[in-house]
Amino acid sequence: MRFADILRLCRQNLLRRKSRTVLTVLGVVVGCCSIVLMVSLGAGINEQNERMLESMGDLSIITVYTGGSGAGGGADGKPAALDDKAVEEFRSIPQVAGVTPMASMPYTASLKTGGGDRYVVDYVQVMGIDTTQLDAMGYVLLEGRAPLRPGEALLGEYTAYDFTDRFRAGEDSMRYHSRGSGGMCVYDETTGTCREVADDPDPFFDPLDTPLTLVTGPSFNGLLSSEGVMAGDTGAGAPLETTLTPVGILEEDYNKGGATSSGVILPLDDLKRLIRDADPSSARASAYDQVLVKVSDMAQVGEVEDQIRALGFGTSSVRQMRENLEEQSRAIQLILGGIGAVSLLVAAIGIANTMVMSVTERTREIGIMKALGCTVRDIRIMFLGEAGAIGFIGGAIGCVISAVASVAINLVSFGSVDVRGVVTALVGGGEAVRVSVIPWWLYLFALAFSTAIGLLSGFQPANRAVRIPALDAIRNTT
Amino acid sequence: MALPHVAQRSAEPARISMDSGVRRGPRPGARRRPMIEVRGLRKEYPVGDESVVALERIDLAVPRGQICCIYGESGSGKSTLLNQLAGLEKPTRGAVRIGGVPVSSLSERELAVFRQRHLGFVFQSYNLLPTLNAVENVAMPLMFRGVPKERRERAARAMLERVGLKGRMGHYPAQMSGGQQQRVGIARAFIAGPQVVFADEPTGNLDSRTKVEVMEMICDFAHAHRQTIVLVTHDDHMARYADRIVTLFDGRIVDDTPNTH
Repeated sequence: MRFADILRLCRQNLLRRKSRTVLTVLGVVVGCCSIVLMVSLGAGINEQNERMLESMGDLSIITVYTGGSGAGGGADGKPAALDDKAVEEFRSIPQVAGVTPMASMPYTASLKTGGGDRYVVDYVQVMGIDTTQLDAMGYVLLEGRAPLRPGEALLGEYTAYDFTDRFRAGEDSMRYHSRGSGGMCVYDETTGTCREVADDPDPFFDPLDTPLTLVTGPSFNGLLSSEGVMAGDTGAGAPLETTLTPVGILEEDYNKGGATSSGVILPLDDLKRLIRDADPSSARASAYDQVLVKVSDMAQVGEVEDQIRALGFGTSSVRQMRENLEEQSRAIQLILGGIGAVSLLVAAIGIANTMVMSVTERTREIGIMKALGCTVRDIRIMFLGEAGAIGFIGGAIGCVISAVASVAINLVSFGSVDVRGVVTALVGGGEAVRVSVIPWWLYLFALAFSTAIGLLSGFQPANRAVRIPALDAIRNTT
Repeated sequence: MALPHVAQRSAEPARISMDSGVRRGPRPGARRRPMIEVRGLRKEYPVGDESVVALERIDLAVPRGQICCIYGESGSGKSTLLNQLAGLEKPTRGAVRIGGVPVSSLSERELAVFRQRHLGFVFQSYNLLPTLNAVENVAMPLMFRGVPKERRERAARAMLERVGLKGRMGHYPAQMSGGQQQRVGIARAFIAGPQVVFADEPTGNLDSRTKVEVMEMICDFAHAHRQTIVLVTHDDHMARYADRIVTLFDGRIVDDTPNTH
């Protein structure tokens, strides 16, 4: 028998009992939808995690520090030193794009500027990095250029907004910046509501055009909190004042140092000199607290991290966190998928029931076909085809309905309905965080799985049909 | 040597002429040996712990082109004999050969192919498939053989025209009278040009006028292409159409006489 003829017979038989076929298909649709939507929720969690990690900054940065979790230690048993030699070692790892030591000012530091030192900020993070590695490390200059001469410095993205105007009081003494988290909210006392400020204000001064004075020292406690210290009445010596010329502003990235948000970034040598000047007794060793290593490909972070650990250092990166998150969402996905699978199992029972009924009803026809020379193989294919078709059609409709439902769920979570929203809800992209994510392979999987369930449920009924003797056609006279 | 023989037959291209749907060409072994050959056939059915003998010591030879009537009261074993002849049931003992092929020892798949190529059936209750229209029902045996839809339906329409159902091509069984349904059944039995057609009480459900029409139609087909007919009936009026009447009683052949009508 030709395959096309078998398919034609399948179609005729399915259409013969329309309501029964429709109900059985409906069961598969429900099962397929529940599996696809459940798994899509799991995939949505994955996407949310991914976005969260991305918002945490550059994911390909490894922070290296001395020691580590007992595994470290050089040949002589002492922890490996995090010095220039180690930095060169890291640089020689092939997958590494850039390396910079990261030193920080061990003392309290403040900045002041303007006439009469009008604008001040206390407790500023001062960080020293190898500024020749800015590009290689992936630091982003928002404005200006890298420092070239001594006394030149970089500022964090929001450093200028940290200054307080000492000559004003209350709200006016600061300029707020929303820092990328949507409009700034200002409480309106007359209406009692929250009023959004459309645009962020400019800082008090142009940070790239205003020299700053850095105040620091071993016993310095800040400009605002302890005016007395400014007079230098403590024994440990007066705080050191240095003039800095900001030449550039870096983009905020906590994985590359908190100073990129609100602090001062100096070339490493400048920072060393500053520390020496502030306290000559602190003749520090050539070792660094931390070294940042930038890996060229995010997928190789783990590999490079292992190599650095093998050298006897401790490391930290977002890899561990990422792995934990992935493991978690995998577990959630499995549970959700399992719940969905139960309803598809119920649908499978429905298909089996329909097929058993169908075989019983058609005993006589099967007998006639056998008597007229239809082979057992063709009869089996015919029944399997009917069961498989129920699964396939149910799966296809289920996929379409799931796609629509997924879009609806996402639109509700976005809180807005427009054409761009629908497209984003379907394919994602941009900053959008979707609740329900259906990857393309999930449609294929759902379709294949539904069809397979259909075939599997049709197997036993088809075998029953095959065993019906041709004789019954003649015996079962009406 | 059952298998090589069948294999050789299966390798033959299906030759179907479009005007009648009847196969032409040489029929192996047809000239020398009888079309149907039964030797020492015995059939027992288990009933509880015992077994009931339905057929005993049946020996029969039907030459090609003969219309052979197996006549008997109900319970005489005539339907059982037909089942053995058509390979629908395996005999307990003995052998059945059709055109030299030992049908009683073929496998299920070989039997299916053998039925496709060499046997036709007319049933008492017509046994048309309710989901197929007249043309599709008639074309069914050709469909099992893998003949393309267009070719087999052209042959089926020609057959329906020959049985006088030109205006009923697209009708479904439920839309036709018993006589019309049986004519569709006859067209279906003869479309593939079988060597032997088994007819089990083909007129059992019909009125007397239609009975005559149906029987004449079967005989005409058979005579036109020298096809062998095995007709099972308990109606002695119908037996008159046969060339030979074999009478069964209690599972044995009690009478075997040529009919000179």
